[in-house]
Amino acid sequence: MVENYLIIGGDGFVGRWIVEMLIKRGETSITVFDIVQRYFDKEIKHYQGDLSNYDDINECIKKENITAVIHTASPPHDGKSEELFWKVNVEGTKNVIEACINNGVKKLVYTSSSSVVYDGYSELINTDETAPYPEKHMNVYNETKAAGEKLVLEANGRNGLLTCALRPCGIFGPNDRQAIPGFIKVMELGQTKYQIGNNENFVDWTYVENCAYAHVLAVDKLSVENQTAGEAFFITNGTPVPFWDLCRFIWAQFNHYPPYILKFPSSFGFIIASFAELASFVTGKEPGFTRFRVRFTTTNRYFNINKARNRLGYEPLVDLEEGARRACQPVIDSFNNQRK
Amino acid sequence: MASSFLQSIFHPNEIVALIQYKFFRPPPIHVIPPEQKTKIRCYEFLNETSRSFASVIQELDDGIRDAICIFYLVLRGLDTIEDDMSILIEKKEPLLRNFHKTLYKKGWTFDESGPNEKDRQLLVEFNVVIEEFLRLERQFQDVIVDITNKMGNGMADYAKDAAHNKYGVMTNKDFDLYCHYVAGLVGIGLSSLFSISGLEKPELANDTELSNSMGLFLQKTNIIRDYLDDLSGNRRFWPKEIWSIYVADLADLKKPGYETKAINCLSTIILNALQHIPDCLTYLNKIQNRSIFSFCAIPQVMAIATLALLFKNYNVYTSVVKIRKGETVKLILKCTDIYEVANIFRYYTRVIIQKNDSKDPNFMKISMACGKVEQWCQTNLPDIDSYSPQQDNDIMIFLIGFILSAFAAYLLHYVNQEHLDYQGRESLDVFD
Repeated sequence: MVENYLIIGGDGFVGRWIVEMLIKRGETSITVFDIVQRYFDKEIKHYQGDLSNYDDINECIKKENITAVIHTASPPHDGKSEELFWKVNVEGTKNVIEACINNGVKKLVYTSSSSVVYDGYSELINTDETAPYPEKHMNVYNETKAAGEKLVLEANGRNGLLTCALRPCGIFGPNDRQAIPGFIKVMELGQTKYQIGNNENFVDWTYVENCAYAHVLAVDKLSVENQTAGEAFFITNGTPVPFWDLCRFIWAQFNHYPPYILKFPSSFGFIIASFAELASFVTGKEPGFTRFRVRFTTTNRYFNINKARNRLGYEPLVDLEEGARRACQPVIDSFNNQRK
Repeated sequence: MASSFLQSIFHPNEIVALIQYKFFRPPPIHVIPPEQKTKIRCYEFLNETSRSFASVIQELDDGIRDAICIFYLVLRGLDTIEDDMSILIEKKEPLLRNFHKTLYKKGWTFDESGPNEKDRQLLVEFNVVIEEFLRLERQFQDVIVDITNKMGNGMADYAKDAAHNKYGVMTNKDFDLYCHYVAGLVGIGLSSLFSISGLEKPELANDTELSNSMGLFLQKTNIIRDYLDDLSGNRRFWPKEIWSIYVADLADLKKPGYETKAINCLSTIILNALQHIPDCLTYLNKIQNRSIFSFCAIPQVMAIATLALLFKNYNVYTSVVKIRKGETVKLILKCTDIYEVANIFRYYTRVIIQKNDSKDPNFMKISMACGKVEQWCQTNLPDIDSYSPQQDNDIMIFLIGFILSAFAAYLLHYVNQEHLDYQGRESLDVFD
């Protein structure tokens, strides 16, 4: 079926991969809505606007006669302003839903996050979609993503609109601005020899192309018969690995191998982190080492993606190893260019 | 015997296991009536030809034990002919190809095996195996004949294949195919026998992919462990597709100066074997009968324990690497249900994770293969973490004193008895 696609956040990291995937497969009607414009393709219509302004998004959907919306827009995780999260993730999503319903859009796919089920301290062991939202979310980002997801799923069926939500975990890829820079920072600080925990906690990651592919599949397969409408799906690379293994593999791409490894039990990490947090509270500086970080590196955080496999037909296109290689390549190239 | 205790001296729970195994394990209860002389002889052969399988086969339930014993002896006979380099190919080929027909020839024996074939006596008295084979139910016979036919022809094809004999296994696909003929078929045959016995569901016989993986995982582990031994007999089972990444000739791996390449090559072939684990666990999870479960699971846990020991272990290229007897016995005693077995697999994949290092060219792939085992366990046995295994640690604290004194007493006893008790020394030689 020929759709008129709208990718909200189509200039962002995941959104751009979706746009390119749609172009590649020969879609002729693609529109992008974003707050900035970074890409200028002649085959794509671009709307620059603010999601928190209903008229901006409504006009775009109406004018372009959109039938399928993929909503990927969200401020970055580490954004400071709580207000911005509420404005974009919740109010913005409300506007998207209203505009879809008022203009007779048939399909809405929402980029949620695996963290909507994370309370900040519990282990996530092979978690599937039966897991409830936590009573108290870890932070505003997670809370607002969950609120947005709920709104989207509740809108399923209204005026013929079908919706679903994808919950990717640990998206990374070439030129990402969160995962790979984080790994590289540890390397540049010379901290790769420290290991907190015993490295027996498994963690999931998602290569960005797989994440984009899941979105395209979700639009294609969104229907009542497929049992995809009104549903949420965890999306990962399907291969959880011990936390420090991916770190060390990424460092290895830069020919960096820790000369030796100092292992700290996680309890020791918590003590140090508590002091660091106390010190930063006194000095008023941002703590570099927090209890959250200790938890982040020592707990299990992986998902059962069989629902996506069975109902969306999702199977990762790029495996974790190849994905990590591709993700590092632009950084390696830029290091090499600097040397020249 | 005393040496197994000494090897385990720093692993007190293995000492417990050894004591438990040696003194407190009820012997198999079935008794063969003395007038069934050929059957008695068959079980004697089983004990003589197999240290690994004799005890697990004898502990099988009544409805299946004889069929498995005969299946084992038939394949052992076939294998003895295949291995025998003193038999010319012109003679060997028809023997292998027709071995399944021989099973119906009452009184057939074969005394032309080379003098060095350790199991030549089995063929010399093969008429007893045939006699017992013909006593089996018709459906059991059909499975044994079918597998013997396929394996015999597969072996004959390899024996005639000049390239295979000269260069060994080439691609990874060849590796799987070779292992299918010598071990995967055994797995497939066993599944059929289990189903026919009624002790397992009829569907098990149709899970040929899983049954094949069971055989491949064991065979590949043996091939990896036996690098040195096979090479000295000019047998080359490591696929060229793997070793040619690192060296120009398979034999170079053990040469000085190639240590890093040898270790990396070892990781590559171990990774190849690890990928069968989810299939093996899926298969074991389908088994219902307790005696069949132990029979299937024991070799599998030995294999993962062996792989964990071989991983990053240069001794593979200099000597024979084996798991401690105490460890073996501990594992045997634990193989009671899928939760125990899954936890054993998780334990050894964690050993592999701890040894893995980012300089290894297969670092990430090995990490992912281990993650798959963990995820299999959590997906198929969701309550595995709340399942409390046989808590050896708590009991340990109370038992350590007892064990050490028992050990000392045993040693004293042993030293006094040593020159008298050669028989006793062999009694624990399982899984050599």
